[in-house]
Amino acid sequence: MRRRIVFLVLLGTFIGLAIWITGIGKLGIYSTFTGQDLLRETGVHLKYVGLGELIAIVVGVSLGVVVSRPWAQRTRLSTVVVGAAGMGQCIPSMALIALMAPILGFGLWAVVVALFVYGLLPILRNTYAGFRSIDPAIIEAAQGMGMSRGQIVRRIELPLARPVIMAGIRTSTVVNVGTAALAVLVGGAGLGRIILTGVLSRQPLITLQGAAPTAALAIVLDFLLDALEDRLTPKGLKVKKSQA
Amino acid sequence: MAEAWQFLLRRPDLLSGWTLQHLYIILVANGISLIIAVALGIWITGRGREKIADVVLYLSDIIMTIPSLAMFGFLMPLFAALGLKSYGFGVAVTALVLYGLLPVIRNTYTAIKEVDPAVVEAGRGMGMSELQILTRIKLPLATPVIMAGLRNAVVINIGIAAIAAMIGAGGLGVPIFRGLRNLRMDLIITGAVALTLLAWAADGLLGLLERWLTPEGLKRARKR
Amino acid sequence: MIRLEEVTKVYPDGTEAVRGVTLQVAKGEFCVLLGPSGCGKTTTLKMINRLIPLSSGRITVDGVDIYKVDPNDLRRGIGYAIQEIGLFPHMTVGENIATVPRLLRWPKERIRRRVEELLELVGLVPPEEFSKKYPAELSGGQRQRVGVARALGADPPILLMDEPFGAIDPITRERLQDEFLRIQAEIKKTIVFVTHDINEAVKLGDRIALMREGRLVQYATPAELLAHPKDGFVRDFVGADRTLKALRLLRVREVMEEKPPTVEASKPLAEARERLERLGVNFLPVVDREGRFLGWLNRTNLRPEGRVAEVMTPYSVLATPDTPLNEALSLMFESAVGNLAVVDGEGRLRGLLTFRRLHEVLRESYREEGQG
Ligand SMILES: Nc1ncnc2c1ncn2[C@@H]1O[C@H](COP(=O)(O)OP(=O)(O)O)[C@@H](O)[C@H]1O
Ligand SMILES: [Mg+2]
Repeated sequence: MRRRIVFLVLLGTFIGLAIWITGIGKLGIYSTFTGQDLLRETGVHLKYVGLGELIAIVVGVSLGVVVSRPWAQRTRLSTVVVGAAGMGQCIPSMALIALMAPILGFGLWAVVVALFVYGLLPILRNTYAGFRSIDPAIIEAAQGMGMSRGQIVRRIELPLARPVIMAGIRTSTVVNVGTAALAVLVGGAGLGRIILTGVLSRQPLITLQGAAPTAALAIVLDFLLDALEDRLTPKGLKVKKSQA
Repeated sequence: MAEAWQFLLRRPDLLSGWTLQHLYIILVANGISLIIAVALGIWITGRGREKIADVVLYLSDIIMTIPSLAMFGFLMPLFAALGLKSYGFGVAVTALVLYGLLPVIRNTYTAIKEVDPAVVEAGRGMGMSELQILTRIKLPLATPVIMAGLRNAVVINIGIAAIAAMIGAGGLGVPIFRGLRNLRMDLIITGAVALTLLAWAADGLLGLLERWLTPEGLKRARKR
Repeated sequence: MIRLEEVTKVYPDGTEAVRGVTLQVAKGEFCVLLGPSGCGKTTTLKMINRLIPLSSGRITVDGVDIYKVDPNDLRRGIGYAIQEIGLFPHMTVGENIATVPRLLRWPKERIRRRVEELLELVGLVPPEEFSKKYPAELSGGQRQRVGVARALGADPPILLMDEPFGAIDPITRERLQDEFLRIQAEIKKTIVFVTHDINEAVKLGDRIALMREGRLVQYATPAELLAHPKDGFVRDFVGADRTLKALRLLRVREVMEEKPPTVEASKPLAEARERLERLGVNFLPVVDREGRFLGWLNRTNLRPEGRVAEVMTPYSVLATPDTPLNEALSLMFESAVGNLAVVDGEGRLRGLLTFRRLHEVLRESYREEGQG
């Protein structure tokens, strides 16, 4: 309850700030962005995050499932992949997105690929951790009842690991709202463009005009994915969570 | 790649300057934030502070969700309004201190909360004062987890400090930013690679420090 | 000596955990707090070292109100061991045991010697080896031994123990209890020991404080608890009926001390005194020339002049070698001296049934039950 209030107050503040600055119109020789600009850049921002996340979820979850199979653990493939994911997560987003430019050229692809790679790692890690945390006795019981491997993954493992996977998707999405703000550096647009305009023109209020909706976007997505995570948690696991 | 190499050979002084600047920002910011976060993390574990703990943890959670570029966007007008320089080092360090808080507060808080109550009771029952219980039992047991939080915070901040180059804070973001604006591939690659190596090095070294600070008794417990 | 006077604990949520408990534990005595789970044993124990504040009443240790001293000083003078042990995982066994001596700032060398001594006392030998180990490297039984050694760290005169052997497998528990009895015989601490296990209570305790729903129901020796359970609850809890049934199968003959030392009624008191002192006892059975039992000579009744017959207390109760043990147990509580004289058909003294012997028999019977 307390959290919901904090969330609503912050969201209201962010949106209020954006509307207020948009309403100012002129700042000396500069003019603030219009409401239309704001909506357009927010849309572009969301498009980047959405595209990057979509690919990251598909690839991350599949790779996580593969890596958590017993044979992958035996062959130490999982150790290698999870270790690499850990190192990858240390790479600063600025370095990653900047390196995409010389490789993929400036523009949409550099942005989306960077967001995909960056978003992939938390999802892969959590999928792996989620599958690993399942009690082997449960899987054995399922095998004992004659479920096929595919059935076990779909009906038993995925539902049990889903809360952890969802947590990974949430982290990944929130981080990528921030990374997408850097798109402007490699020829993209989005809310980062407004912030950068403010920075370069040394107009703090214009910076704020971009910052407020970016922050709003991040906390809204965080909030929604948190709610979704709760929804998708199997009822049997929920008791534990609320007790914890 | 070759161009980056040539640049390095031509101007090694520039790269080392940016790296030192970067390290300096991190050192200052994470130093301040470590002290605040550990103190706050300990304080909110106190009896009767559960509600405060909840709010503190949630607020630092929220801070983490705010994109760093947006954070600079908030701090710059704030600094301007306070009559401070709305550009450069001060704003950057403030933002990094804020980002450095959550991982350390959270880890300090959970690690101390998770100390076995029987161990604390034994200490109290033998006549240890609350301060002695904190310094001789709780903190040593929580150290590895706190260090893991610091490691996390430093790695995150190395990345954010690069972004802070945009607001004139210097560091390894400078060549990247400059390279991207002027299409100088050598600068981009030099900066990005150096930045990544720095993050990896910090992660590795702090990992070693974490292991080194883990009490021997806990290491042996883990082995079993 | 520990005294609890009308001690009451009401938790903030309104639970009345302890209600008006009054009891006294003499110096060197082993007192067991016994009762079903939730009856307030732990609460009572923790009030003694102020881990839980009293709601009302008074607790004194050696006559001093525990609220007149600093709680940390109080606790450093009272050993404390709990079921969960709570060994410090980041400290070696030696450092764990040295906790209180360090708090008291003993010199290093003295601490080292004390640690070795204690490790030997609890059977963790060689001490140099165990001292360097970490709790994670020990078995459950070994950890509990360290817990006991740590409680004894600064040689406190008092020990508080809360189900210290509760979480240990039955065989190891049995062994730890035996060892602990041996240790107690050596160190003679004043002990308050919590358990919900009647077998453990009978085995270890000099006196048992039986609690129910926060109240002290009966405070007595194990034998008395069995022979004279105050009410149905006590009888059920200590299994008095069963035990007495088992005792019925035994005859006095099987457990009595044969050929006990005696004194003749016609002897001068001076000689009797010498005999009492030589034997180190407070009572002697008095017999006539033919060895017929007449009564008891009580040390406190000695006079400088005169003969034994003049001061002896005539007997009130007697047993024969064929008296069932359960009856003998009841008779003992009526006997003026607590011991029971066993005579044959002609009234000649055959033996003596003492509380100590009876206690041993009870322990045996509980031990068998505990294992069965
Ligand atoms: N901190 C507490 N707050 C409220 N009630 C408590 C607390 N601790 C114990 N109790 C209650 O007090 C009663 C006695 O508890 P305790 O002394 O632990 O019993 P025992 O050690 O005999 O099992 C129980 O009903 C228990 O639930
Ligand atoms: Mg208890």
